[in-house]
Amino acid sequence: MTDDGASVVSPAAIGRSIGTAARRALGGRRFPLLDRIAFALVVLLVLVALVGLFVTPHDPFMVNTGQAFLPPGSGHLLGTDNVGRDVLSRILAGAGRTLLVAVAIVLCATVIGVLVASAAALMPRWIDESVMRACDICMSLPSLVLALGLAASLGPSMMSIVFAMIATSWPATARLMRNILRETLTSSYVEAARTLGMSRLRLMRRHVLPNSLDAIYVQASMEISGTIVMISGLAFLGVGAPPPSPDWGSLIAQGQNHITTAWWIALFPGLAITLAAIAFGLAGDAVRSAVDPSSRRS
Amino acid sequence: MTRFMVRRSCLALLSLWGVATIVFFMSKLIPGDVARVAAGRLATREQVEAMREKLHLDQSVLVQYLDFMKRLVHGDFGESVVTHQKVSNDLLNVLPTTVQLVVLTMIIVVAVAAPLGIVAAVNEGRAADIAARVVLVLSGGVPMFWLAIMLRWSLSLRLGWFPISGTNSVGMAPPRVTGFTVIDSLLFGTMGNVVDSVAHLLLPAVALSMPFITTLARIIRSNMMTAMKSDFITFAVSKGVPRRRVVMRHAFRSSLGAVVTIFGMQFGWMISAAVLVEAVFSLPGIGSYLYGSITSQDTFAVLAAVLVIGLVFIVTALITDMLQRLLDPRVRNAPGGAS
Repeated sequence: MTDDGASVVSPAAIGRSIGTAARRALGGRRFPLLDRIAFALVVLLVLVALVGLFVTPHDPFMVNTGQAFLPPGSGHLLGTDNVGRDVLSRILAGAGRTLLVAVAIVLCATVIGVLVASAAALMPRWIDESVMRACDICMSLPSLVLALGLAASLGPSMMSIVFAMIATSWPATARLMRNILRETLTSSYVEAARTLGMSRLRLMRRHVLPNSLDAIYVQASMEISGTIVMISGLAFLGVGAPPPSPDWGSLIAQGQNHITTAWWIALFPGLAITLAAIAFGLAGDAVRSAVDPSSRRS
Repeated sequence: MTRFMVRRSCLALLSLWGVATIVFFMSKLIPGDVARVAAGRLATREQVEAMREKLHLDQSVLVQYLDFMKRLVHGDFGESVVTHQKVSNDLLNVLPTTVQLVVLTMIIVVAVAAPLGIVAAVNEGRAADIAARVVLVLSGGVPMFWLAIMLRWSLSLRLGWFPISGTNSVGMAPPRVTGFTVIDSLLFGTMGNVVDSVAHLLLPAVALSMPFITTLARIIRSNMMTAMKSDFITFAVSKGVPRRRVVMRHAFRSSLGAVVTIFGMQFGWMISAAVLVEAVFSLPGIGSYLYGSITSQDTFAVLAAVLVIGLVFIVTALITDMLQRLLDPRVRNAPGGAS
């Protein structure tokens, strides 16, 4: 650790840590084929999500009732919906509004969780304890329903879902992060630094946080898959962005009304969610086993 | 033990207070005129003003909060602006359907997850293990509301094997006594009523069970793998106990404790996840109620339902913890287990 400690965790340390993880993940010989496929899928999905925000084969919002309910096939690969919009284009346009939003939610919840956990670790013991007890209580509540209630109170928009998901998921993250930090705090090099008289703040920033990063990545990467399914569920229930938003949950909700006449409208977005959830789930497992080989066979 | 019970109950009370407080502050987040929202979109000016007075919206937040808590303790969750019924009555009417659904889901989860987990653990690394894990990855990734739509479309609408929606076919509803259609059918109806009631719950339960099958089977698998490597299994095998008996009587039984815990915790999760599935099958449970309230923008009914699900969630977690202590002496006597 040669960084100057100017920021809480220096970018250099993050870069090194990501580099190590990526090298372990992609270059390692003992890395199974399945994990590499999962990583490739995740990269592909993220690229599609980014590109899909700007470029799609057809305009995902263009209404053309003359082209309504066209089955999958020529011209429209996955068919058209009830007002003649191209289903494939809408799925591509919705990828960003689903996947990138899920990643953003996990990122925000993790940052808040890490900040709260490290602040609590620096505070006097009783504050630390009460913050963690409060997190315990939050964790004992059903997050899906709380997010639903919160998003319903805020009114239908994608931001409601984002806010509700962050608000209901950070306590769990903070609790986990506190455990990770506690584990790092007991390691011998931290003990050594403490014995040398290093202040708690400096100890946290120079030793504990950089050395906890691996575990934090693992946690975050494992969260994404579930978050994708959950925000789709919330959007499906109608607390998300109002029509004509093409996020995957809303697409399924729109397709549900026409399931008997046009099954393709609801089928394909669901396959997309399943594929994304599995890809991100497997990638999360892969990151975990790269960082902690002992978890590989469990 | 008593000490634990008291501590655990205090924690549950604290959680109840926590969820009530969170729901109260959610109602403060509603944009615009809350009295207008609470009175409904078609309310007259006088009705809005009456609602403002009733909810103490003209007074300080603290007074409103205390009043909210007072009404909760008396079991008053407010009125729906759509049905003009007390929300607590509405919820009591729909709760049995959800409980039935969740109980059936639990049966399916155990029936599928236990064999999968055991087979995977016993054949660790072999084809059966890999096959089981592929199934678990799929069931863990598929969004249940979409699966519900697809099952309903393919098996009910196209093939006609299962009923399309609701709790009973026309003329097949048992007399409503307990509200649990299956129990009412068993007690007061014919065999036809029973079959009809269960058939209406089956597809929703299958869709709802998916993510829980994955969680439970993975836990059973890893617990079984640990158990199979422990000394008492080696001893049983060397004693000449048949393999099937070792697996079922020795290894599986010792991993049952964790199953009970996970299961109790999942009961609450299933109740909340049921929202997604009930909405698809129009099962008149607490989930459909919640969905209907969201659609008709009956925000106070939404919050009341959130509160009720929170209560069920906390109480089941409490009961599970207590049961586990009573059933498993290893947990009861574990060092430091008092906390």
